[in-house]
Amino acid sequence: MIQYIIRRLLLMLPTLAGITLLVFSVMAMAPGGIGANLMTRGGDMRPEERAAMVAYLNQRYGLDQPMSVQYLRWLNNVLPIGYTSTPSGEREFGFKQPDLGMSFVKNRPVLDLVADALPITLLLNALTVPFVFIGSIMMGVYTARFRGQALDVGIGTANLALWSIPTIWMGVMLIGFFASEQYLKWFPTSGLESMRADSWTFLPTHTPDGWQHGYLLDLLWHMVLPVICLTYSGFAFLTKLTRSAVLENLSADYARTARAKGASAQVVLWRHVFRNSLLPLITVAASILPGLLVGSVIVESIFSIDGMGKLVVEAVQMRDRELVLSITLITGMLTLFSYLLMDICYALADPRVSYE
Amino acid sequence: MGNRFGVKDLLLYLFLTAILASIWLAMVQIDRQWEFISLTEEQLEEQTKDIAEIRRRLQRGMIPSAGYQNRDDNESGLNANTKSWRGFERALQAQQQPDYAQGDWLVDYFPDNLLTLTPSISSDTYAAAVQQRVLDTLITRDPETLEWLPLVAESWQISDDGLTIRFKIRDGVTFADGEPLTAEDVAFTHRFVMDERIAAPRWRASLARITEVTAEGNEAVFRYEEPYFGTFELAGTLPILAEHFYGRYLESVEAAEEFNRSTGLLFGSGPYRLENPSAWTPDQGIVLVRNDRYWGAAQPPFERIVYKVIQNDAALLTEFRNGDIDFYRARPLDYRELKDDAEVAKRAQSFQYYDARGGYAYIAWNQLNDGTPTRFADKRVRQALTYLTDRDRITNEVMLGYATPANGPFNPLGKQLNPDLPTRQFDLDKARSLLAEAGYEDRDGDGILESAEGEPFRFKLSYPSGSDDYKRIVLLLKDLYVQAGIILEPDPLDWPLMLKALESKTYDAISLAWSSGFEIDLFQFFHSSQMATGGDNFINYASPELDALIDQARAEMDESKRMPLWHQAHEVLWEDQPYTFLMRRSRLDFVDRRIQNIQRVAAGLNSPGLWQMPTEWYVPAPMQKYQD
Repeated sequence: MIQYIIRRLLLMLPTLAGITLLVFSVMAMAPGGIGANLMTRGGDMRPEERAAMVAYLNQRYGLDQPMSVQYLRWLNNVLPIGYTSTPSGEREFGFKQPDLGMSFVKNRPVLDLVADALPITLLLNALTVPFVFIGSIMMGVYTARFRGQALDVGIGTANLALWSIPTIWMGVMLIGFFASEQYLKWFPTSGLESMRADSWTFLPTHTPDGWQHGYLLDLLWHMVLPVICLTYSGFAFLTKLTRSAVLENLSADYARTARAKGASAQVVLWRHVFRNSLLPLITVAASILPGLLVGSVIVESIFSIDGMGKLVVEAVQMRDRELVLSITLITGMLTLFSYLLMDICYALADPRVSYE
Repeated sequence: MGNRFGVKDLLLYLFLTAILASIWLAMVQIDRQWEFISLTEEQLEEQTKDIAEIRRRLQRGMIPSAGYQNRDDNESGLNANTKSWRGFERALQAQQQPDYAQGDWLVDYFPDNLLTLTPSISSDTYAAAVQQRVLDTLITRDPETLEWLPLVAESWQISDDGLTIRFKIRDGVTFADGEPLTAEDVAFTHRFVMDERIAAPRWRASLARITEVTAEGNEAVFRYEEPYFGTFELAGTLPILAEHFYGRYLESVEAAEEFNRSTGLLFGSGPYRLENPSAWTPDQGIVLVRNDRYWGAAQPPFERIVYKVIQNDAALLTEFRNGDIDFYRARPLDYRELKDDAEVAKRAQSFQYYDARGGYAYIAWNQLNDGTPTRFADKRVRQALTYLTDRDRITNEVMLGYATPANGPFNPLGKQLNPDLPTRQFDLDKARSLLAEAGYEDRDGDGILESAEGEPFRFKLSYPSGSDDYKRIVLLLKDLYVQAGIILEPDPLDWPLMLKALESKTYDAISLAWSSGFEIDLFQFFHSSQMATGGDNFINYASPELDALIDQARAEMDESKRMPLWHQAHEVLWEDQPYTFLMRRSRLDFVDRRIQNIQRVAAGLNSPGLWQMPTEWYVPAPMQKYQD
């Protein structure tokens, strides 16, 4: 087992190098060049200012060097082993601090940007994923149990309908009807906290002016609409997956045996069948993990939330190479790790799988 | 079987996760409180210093000399001795209103995130809008007459050759922490920006014209090598940075690097300040609080100016309807609908106006593609196309009347525009005869013009993709041009491709817009020296006559002599039509009703976001909505 894990870990290195090389080449080949977009945000710029800016970026990030040199330099920077230049200008080979570099556009360390955006995305997903999974497992099991009946058809149709609604439309409708004074002003329209949340306590408190709902409730209150947007379309797929897995196992021999030895329908369903139906769900769970880290750009931009989705899309649009490469590296690494984890989980969950 | 993972375990894990998440959130909250406490401590320290200073002065029998002394003993607020306070005249007049009151917040919005608020490394207009409220400049403009008024500078003197400008710094100007602002700080600002270690290449390039800035007593002296009409504005509108705050970033390379990476080092002497001027990050939200030590004659009315970031259009409109933001900058279609909306009319005032600094949209005709002259190199062709470009239909049909036709690069609200030049009206016959003169005729009877070589007149008009207005204008032009037998092919381009086309100058024609200022310099766009790669004369237009006029006007320091030169330059452009000037958009703003004293002025609106200008807007006490 340990040998297997080590082999898999070593295999990751060329895979990651391949991924970053591919992304790097695509960025390098994109028309307009890397620095082009840096010029537009400022709008009007005098020629001498533009020339100064181009020269500055070239000098600072080595953009005038050949592409291969630029890639190797970047690779050297992100690796924990490599060349460093000493203050005296000499090059030394050895262990060093990996450096993900600076975002061209935002002029901040990439790590800081990711550290700002990732917790927000994780928080949103931490609320969304349990809803989606618990909801679809329940629905999947019951639709399988009452196959062909009104409940099955109803849930199936409803999920299909939800799945077909575009998020962008749903988001705008939710804001229009549930965050507008013209209709129902139940929720805030954008952001993750109220303007004055800074000065509030964490938990709800009673003040002389009345109840003040506090930082935590304020945050949750702001997250209701985004979480609805992230959740509703996720049910369909997982429900169908659970339903087919449960159906398959319900008609399996061991389920009949269990029933024959006198186990109640509930026990057969939940203790025997349900557990064996979880395997495909593990597969899916591992494959959606990288997606969760990248976030949803649509939901984030509708509700003005600064998560990973917007960071990634903005980086690509602005050709912010260091940022794109670093996020690719991080998500690539996490994807490969989650695949490894999934394979290990298989071995643990299914006695037939072994890596010896 | 019995000890396998069950529903109860699942609940337990969920419970544990919830607890961990709450602990994490609680830690975040504690962090915020810690920040709040350290801020309070800082403020307390500053106040203690202030009290000590006042006590010292009282013991010596000195009267505190800071600020504007004549305010109390003079009813009108101004007399002959306080001529140097003219920059505050309008704000003081606003304070004379019977319902004037301090307090309340102004809630504005930005459609995009700010990257950094640190001056000199920020590059977007949003950061500039915030910095304008926090950093002071030496002089400001009168929004009605557009003449220069003293602000931090009490008076100024320009040498006869125009190469030395001396600004006398007013006594008693202090930064937001109570430290005095001196001529040293002005000199420091220049030194700071010019330091190669600071990542301000853009600002550095624009200040390169200044040879040196020195502090001589209470005077800040700017020196130049050559006369240029913009030198006074360049010096006078330099945002003043505090040496005691920014100075430490010049001490070492690491410190400079820390500055370059900062997100919110914003500190100055303006009417508003950041609550925590050294550690702002984009996730904190943009909140400016009133600078209670503001040195000016008129104290700022709003307690806070808050900028929300709202990226989605639907959310933006909903927030405005809900009253969560005080502004809504509409597009023509929105404006027409919302203007008559009873709900909106009840809570908002609408303004349609032209900004004296508003830019213009144009079509640029490339005269030299890949080294060979294009058909647009012929003046008659460009004139004919201008005759075909029905600007009245563009402004009325596409812009719904919320734009005005442009006939040159100069703003009609400024003094540079030559008022004697008419705008060419749509004239199919004139266009046809000009094109025939230039050798374009329909030789094969298919309705399309051909050149003498039999090549049909067909060209690509590039425009920024994703802009609905441009798209509609280009489609209208296609219909108009085809009447004269010219085929226009719309060519929407993404920004990077657009910039590449401009740089390599491989395009037929491009429709874009330039932003503008009170007095603009034509050098950048139309001087033949700017045809070099990277210059903004990307149409390869060269006119020795215009070059000479531009050179003369730039070196002329006397406005009364310079304006006739700009008028002549305008005439050359009008005749040559290197661009077909399209239109100037009007600004369409909705502002919350509770905000009073919004006036139309020559420059546009007397809005607090216009430029360094003491705020004239206020909310009467009974209408105030937010309190600290």
